[in-house]
Amino acid sequence: MKKTFLINDLVWIGFAAAVCYGGLKLGFGSFSQPHAGFMPFLSGLLLGLLALVDLISGLAKGWRDEKKDVEIWANINWGKLLLTLALLVIYTALFTTLGFVITTILLLFFFFRAMEPRPWWVVAVSSVTCTGLFYLAFKIGLESQLPRGILGF
Amino acid sequence: MELLNYLLLGFSVALEPANLFYCFIGVVIGTLVGVLPGLGPVAAMSLLLPATFHTTPVASIIMLSGIYYGAMYGGSTTSILVNIPGEAASVMTCIDGYQMARNGRAGPALGISAFGSFIAGSIGIIGLVLIAPPLVDFALKFGPPEYFSLMVLGLMILTFLTSASMVRALMMATFGLVAGTMGLDNISGLARFTFNIPELLDGVGLVPVVMGLFGISEVLLNIELKVKREVFTTKVKGLLPTLEDWGKSIWSILRGTILGFFLGILPGGGAVIASFVSYAIEKRVSKHPEEFGKGAIEGVAAPEAANNSAAQGAFIPLLTLGIPSNVVMAMLLGALIIHGVTPGPLLLAQHPELFWGVVASMYVGNALLLILNLPLIGMWVQLLKVPYSILFPIIILFCLLGSYSINNSTTDVVIMLVFGVIGYLMKKLSLEAAPMVLAFVLGPMMETALRQSLIKSKGSFSIFFTRPISATCLIIAIALMIMPLLPWFRRRPGVKLEHEDVT
Repeated sequence: MKKTFLINDLVWIGFAAAVCYGGLKLGFGSFSQPHAGFMPFLSGLLLGLLALVDLISGLAKGWRDEKKDVEIWANINWGKLLLTLALLVIYTALFTTLGFVITTILLLFFFFRAMEPRPWWVVAVSSVTCTGLFYLAFKIGLESQLPRGILGF
Repeated sequence: MELLNYLLLGFSVALEPANLFYCFIGVVIGTLVGVLPGLGPVAAMSLLLPATFHTTPVASIIMLSGIYYGAMYGGSTTSILVNIPGEAASVMTCIDGYQMARNGRAGPALGISAFGSFIAGSIGIIGLVLIAPPLVDFALKFGPPEYFSLMVLGLMILTFLTSASMVRALMMATFGLVAGTMGLDNISGLARFTFNIPELLDGVGLVPVVMGLFGISEVLLNIELKVKREVFTTKVKGLLPTLEDWGKSIWSILRGTILGFFLGILPGGGAVIASFVSYAIEKRVSKHPEEFGKGAIEGVAAPEAANNSAAQGAFIPLLTLGIPSNVVMAMLLGALIIHGVTPGPLLLAQHPELFWGVVASMYVGNALLLILNLPLIGMWVQLLKVPYSILFPIIILFCLLGSYSINNSTTDVVIMLVFGVIGYLMKKLSLEAAPMVLAFVLGPMMETALRQSLIKSKGSFSIFFTRPISATCLIIAIALMIMPLLPWFRRRPGVKLEHEDVT
């Protein structure tokens, strides 16, 4: 049994049902006077039907043409993957409060250090240099409104 | 004569110092992202879109277009030297290009790839000049039903060509349509799926979606891969192909050019499909098909020519009909709209300097690329040596800052991260992002065209079948949907389009 593809189709069916419900709540209208929920409802309906077709065809064939669950999930470096995602979430959460400079130096420091063992001073210099270059490119060059944060620049 | 005047206007615009500078920047960045695996032209274009807000619409489109066809050029370098396609349209170049490099012929492979691309790009531009103006007159006959049906056809062609499972590709396209409905309803002004988040009233932005699906997801995937890169740096010499090489390649280049150009025009077609088909054709027409896969120079020349002319051809539906035929064109559509320019049949009349300026800049850009690619090949090769552990935090940072700087809002960053995870899962499950993105862009236009058509016909769907252009598009779309059910199509080989193009 290839549970991944079964779960995938069920998730899509559930999502499609939610979209259809949302579309109906917005108001379907009629074919001659379509309202705001018209397109979401039709798209949701189509998505649900397609996911159902995929599910039925998968169940009938036992997903024999698909990768096995173990092939999909076995080689993942969960540590690095979750660490990357966690760092990105923390960066986004602290970005406006601490400001671009501090959060970016910290983010790059963690990435450069965590992904491959390097001397800490190399990592620190690289992080500060990269942040400086990005600051110049985005803040000075492109005049982006990057958050100043506690440093005030 | 009028055409010549317009071309002169185009070149006068393209050769303005500022526009020339943006063209140069575009092709350099394009080559760079083409060379570096992990960041395709779509991600690069979305990254630099905010940077073009301060420029004129012409400069903006010139730069973004430069990134696109620059990436087509740059992608061949990694294919030949490392056996890793820098972007999806260069996959076929790996097969014979890498074998040529292994046989000590990396120089001629890189040379024919650059010259072939230049020839194809130049011919493609001539095609664009000849075909676009008549198509504009034709496009003026289009009403909402025609637009709706043409967009349906574009999506059907894309889903038909891009995936081994058409049902799943259609699922992704429908998901794109759903995502496109978020934000204020164009007609009633009602907020849809905004979850009381004010930033979502304008809908989900194209840039965070694309950066998430193509940038962040690629990084997440690459973290788990351990790719050993073997770069043939010491053998890059003799970049100019010999007369024998030219004799073998010239017809392949011309065939690839013509094929690529027309596949580029096709809604849903593009550079990737063009390179795949041209390689297959070359192998079929060759007197020595057994040499393909072992370092045949035709196997490099044809797909490289095809992907470049397809890149030019893809501009036709965007500039004349206002319909992007692939994800890259969708990015350009977004850029034009941000600059207050509505692409479509009236673009040529209302903004001739933009239309012809962009066309002429492609020629200038192609010449720049030839100058850049051959002498600077050593520099691009050095870039390949940058370890991924250094490269990926920089790619991530570009994505984070790029998506933030559009509206100076962390909501866009969150959206990008969410789509990054979605994109990662989609790649794991072999669900393709390209139909999703194209449908996401076309969705609002499709919805408006559908609703306007139905209001006009008082709710009758016959309006789509009683008008010839609309009916033709829909009949072809239906035929494409039915074809996979026929026995001889059931086991058709799918073409995986992981990156931008799909194009």
